[in-house]
Amino acid sequence: MRVCCGLTAHLELARRPDLYGTPVIVGRWDEHVVAASEETSAFGVLHGMALRQAEHLCPQATFVLPDEEAVVRIRELIAAALYDLAPVVEVRDEGIAWLDLSGVTNPGQSIRAARHRLLRAIGREPRLGLAPGPFSARLAAARARPGRLLRVADAREFLAALPSRELPLDAEQRERLDLLGLRTLGAVASVGPRELESQLGRDGRHAVLLARGLEPDQLDAWRPPLFTSAHRQFGEPVEDREALLFVARALCGDLADELGLRGAGAKHVRVRLIFDSTESEKRESIVRHPLSSATELFGLIGSWIKEWQPRAPIAELWIDLPVLEAAGRRQLRLWAGGDGSSEEVTAALERLQERFGDVIWQPLPA
Amino acid sequence: MQAQNLELAIDSIRIRFGSQALTRAAELPPPRPWPSGTAVDRLTGIGGLPRGRLALFTGNGTCGKLSLGLSLLAGATREFAHAMVIDGGGFDPWTLTSFSPELGALTVVRAPAPEIAGEAAATLARAGAGFLLLMCEIPEHWLGPLESGANRSGTVVVGVIDAPSRALAHASSFSLGFSRSDWIWERGQLVGLRASARCVKNRVAPPLSETELEIRYPLSAQPLTDYTPRINEAPIQVIEMESCASAVV
Repeated sequence: MRVCCGLTAHLELARRPDLYGTPVIVGRWDEHVVAASEETSAFGVLHGMALRQAEHLCPQATFVLPDEEAVVRIRELIAAALYDLAPVVEVRDEGIAWLDLSGVTNPGQSIRAARHRLLRAIGREPRLGLAPGPFSARLAAARARPGRLLRVADAREFLAALPSRELPLDAEQRERLDLLGLRTLGAVASVGPRELESQLGRDGRHAVLLARGLEPDQLDAWRPPLFTSAHRQFGEPVEDREALLFVARALCGDLADELGLRGAGAKHVRVRLIFDSTESEKRESIVRHPLSSATELFGLIGSWIKEWQPRAPIAELWIDLPVLEAAGRRQLRLWAGGDGSSEEVTAALERLQERFGDVIWQPLPA
Repeated sequence: MQAQNLELAIDSIRIRFGSQALTRAAELPPPRPWPSGTAVDRLTGIGGLPRGRLALFTGNGTCGKLSLGLSLLAGATREFAHAMVIDGGGFDPWTLTSFSPELGALTVVRAPAPEIAGEAAATLARAGAGFLLLMCEIPEHWLGPLESGANRSGTVVVGVIDAPSRALAHASSFSLGFSRSDWIWERGQLVGLRASARCVKNRVAPPLSETELEIRYPLSAQPLTDYTPRINEAPIQVIEMESCASAVV
């Protein structure tokens, strides 16, 4: 395994790039600090401490309420941006992006591209680390300068000198390590896994493996969400079918672009018409042959709209694609010559029939 | 920089979807033939109609191209699970019966507009229909999807068109030009025609082969057991041209 880690600020902080360079603390009143900018560390503010205490330590900081939804959006944005650079990509809210570069023919190029994309997404230069596993890569990145890469060849040697508080243990376990005199990862590595397991439980064993650079943790690969939708809200409720078709065509184009980026196809299509009274009508269908182009999508949706008799003027049009076929399967099918199955041809005929009406004719044997 | 980006994109696709996900054109295998058992096999130069490519039969008026197309279609219904006809309005399925087709495998798509014909052809080729007989023009913007769809699935696509548009002629990989040389009369009754079929374009093998065909019309209903092929290669006169120039339409 060869893992590159890009380290940026916590994604809560990335929501407010206008506050970069100033002390910022994210958290809810009467709760704990969710994230704090580097500028607050000089005042002793730590992640997880009570917000009241943080305010006492650094009263000049800007206090921001956390927004979990925005963080998820940023995380998805970063993961999508890095998705094509490595087979496995993981992004965490703490501002950690891992790329497993095993098998990548030109890892240097992937790392450079990752740096540029992280910079574009976050607005700050990431610190980069390259090491045999995610734990050592993260620690390497934490010790790199912004925009620079720290490369680690021998993880055990690199980790040996680092403090044992870098291990993912809770405060009590860290204190216990301290009492045991295990203040560096080198010291932890020298202890047998069973010995530390008897002291700290399973976390102890895990800690020894990490300290030895054995990287027991695997990356949790990010997968593109398999759901997409597009909608348009009308200023004035629409009754004109042509206008509806026009908007539907544009939405199909947007969805097709998105599907194209993911290399995916829609297996399930749903159209919802929302009326002024917030009531709605919907029509949906499962397609046997996934739709991916704007023509295919509009072929189906346009035929529905043409015959739809909505009971009131339409205030909003939604097109949902709740089930997508993943990119991998479509790619494999792309190059498997002569694999046209009878089912697929039948599905294609059904789709043509649905689109154009009674155009299919099959003579039956006498 | 662009080349680097392209290489990076190719690498990522290969990493994610396997080394065979992208293939360079030069590494692609040659077109596989579908032996139809007719004279066309020899004219293509590869022993059959090329799978995944568009073949065109052209010629003005009554010259035998439709008869040959129907003969291929009937053969296809016996060999493929799905043989399709994209009909622009001139196809009478009962003319096919004299070629003893397997009707269970035949589907006719009536396409009142070229747009429908284009979409139907591209969709069916992509889905993997075994054989596709085009009886009408295909709009230019559907030719790309049709070609790529057929290429991926290996569909045999044959177009029977009097005078194809430039785009269709360009999209074809193999074109046969038909011209009637003579009618065949027996006992004062018209029973068939003689036609010459000349390869005017061939992307899968050296072009410029030619042959004479004798096409006999069905005169009455005939039991299947008495079935004989109605298209015969008349005394074969293969004209070998001296220079092997390209015959791109």
